[in-house]
Amino acid sequence: MPGESTDEEVVRRTITDKDAFAELIGRYEAKLGRYLERLGLGVREDREDVLQNVFIKAYRNLNSFDPSLSFSSWIYRIAHNEAMSFFRARRARPQVVLGDDSDFLLSELRDEHADSTRAAERRLSREELSRALVAIDPQYREVLILRFFDDRSYTEISDILQVPLGTVSTLIYRAKRALRAALPNAFIL
Amino acid sequence: MNETSNQLAERVLHRIEAEDVHPRPRWEFLLKNYTFWTVGAVAVTLGAVAFSAALFEVENTTWRLYMATHPNLFSFVLAVAPFLWVIALAVFILLGYVNIRHTNRGYRYPLLLIAAGAVLTSVTLGSALYAAGYGGRVEEALGSIPPFYRPILQQEHGWWLNPNRGLLGGVVMSVASAASSSPLGFVLKDFSGHLWKIDGADLRGIDLTILARGGTVRVVGVPVVGPTSSSTVFHACFVFPWRVFGLGSRPPSSPVAVFSSSTERMSGIARSDVCRGIRPYKQLRDLDENGF
Repeated sequence: MPGESTDEEVVRRTITDKDAFAELIGRYEAKLGRYLERLGLGVREDREDVLQNVFIKAYRNLNSFDPSLSFSSWIYRIAHNEAMSFFRARRARPQVVLGDDSDFLLSELRDEHADSTRAAERRLSREELSRALVAIDPQYREVLILRFFDDRSYTEISDILQVPLGTVSTLIYRAKRALRAALPNAFIL
Repeated sequence: MNETSNQLAERVLHRIEAEDVHPRPRWEFLLKNYTFWTVGAVAVTLGAVAFSAALFEVENTTWRLYMATHPNLFSFVLAVAPFLWVIALAVFILLGYVNIRHTNRGYRYPLLLIAAGAVLTSVTLGSALYAAGYGGRVEEALGSIPPFYRPILQQEHGWWLNPNRGLLGGVVMSVASAASSSPLGFVLKDFSGHLWKIDGADLRGIDLTILARGGTVRVVGVPVVGPTSSSTVFHACFVFPWRVFGLGSRPPSSPVAVFSSSTERMSGIARSDVCRGIRPYKQLRDLDENGF
């Protein structure tokens, strides 16, 4: 929207006027809600509680935000930390629920193999992909979610997971391999 | 902004109000970041200090005489390997790495880059500290604290204060006769302060050169009266220099004698049977003849 303030400008305003924070909440509530859901926070009430904590924590730590980095990565990092704390505290097993936005990941998996005819024989259901995502290492699951569902760049993923840029490429490569191995045999691409 | 967002925003702002939440001041975050940098830098510097001490220990180990002081190379390596300093170096480098990794953008640097940077900085700075003479001071001062560790010079002093095993170290006080025709003798003050009369009849060219320079020397030989006696007379078979590296520049010791280079002693004739019985005669002789 032309004339709309940048996140960084809203952050600066929020320091002196807490009501401005509502604008940031509006911008990120849906995105972070989907991100948390994909991370495995399947129950709506849990997700909302975590989301509230994310924004409270973000508000409390606004002064730690480095404007030379993206605000989006910064708040995703907080959401990541809160989700991990939630799983640790509840000792809960993530329940990955995917929407119809999983095609990007599937096409990415297929693109690496010239022969996609076998995979095309049967359409992979969201449930099967969700089960495979739950089965793989949480670190791999998260990097796939950030890259293929949230469409984050490598630099943003590096800032969110706080790993070097080179490690992001390695993680994505290994995550795709792990996901392929976790898929039902009929979908080994 | 839809209705759900408004609801969440309202709930969040209400909680902020009710719980009196305020943004933490910027200086707290800056302090935290600078603390990580400072602790990281201090850890790497301490790693450098540990490296300088390790270097001092390695440099001042008389590897070439291990066969005289120890039954085998393995026991010698166990005694002189700078385990304490290497462990300290590893711990400080790890501490430096962890702290640098936790700074604001520390995660962006590859693990290998931070680790290699910390190691390289510690090694470079440690070498400079060693060259400036601090390695020895650290090794001696800090090395005296742990009960399981003895500084290298103290260890060496212990090994060379063992006349019953034919090992004697100390400062050459005076040479009794430098004339080529008369029997050579000199006085040595050992590390516990005792004066020894040393019979030097079996000493050869290089031994005499070392002796003439004065200062601290190592003498391999045989106690004259027997191991159970409190003899302070010692028959010298070989003399080796005692050099200490890494303690900064020190004035050279004053020469205590001048020997003529054309004397019989300067030739390589065999030593007496008294010396041939010492262990390990052949290796010591080779070392003596080929230079220490």
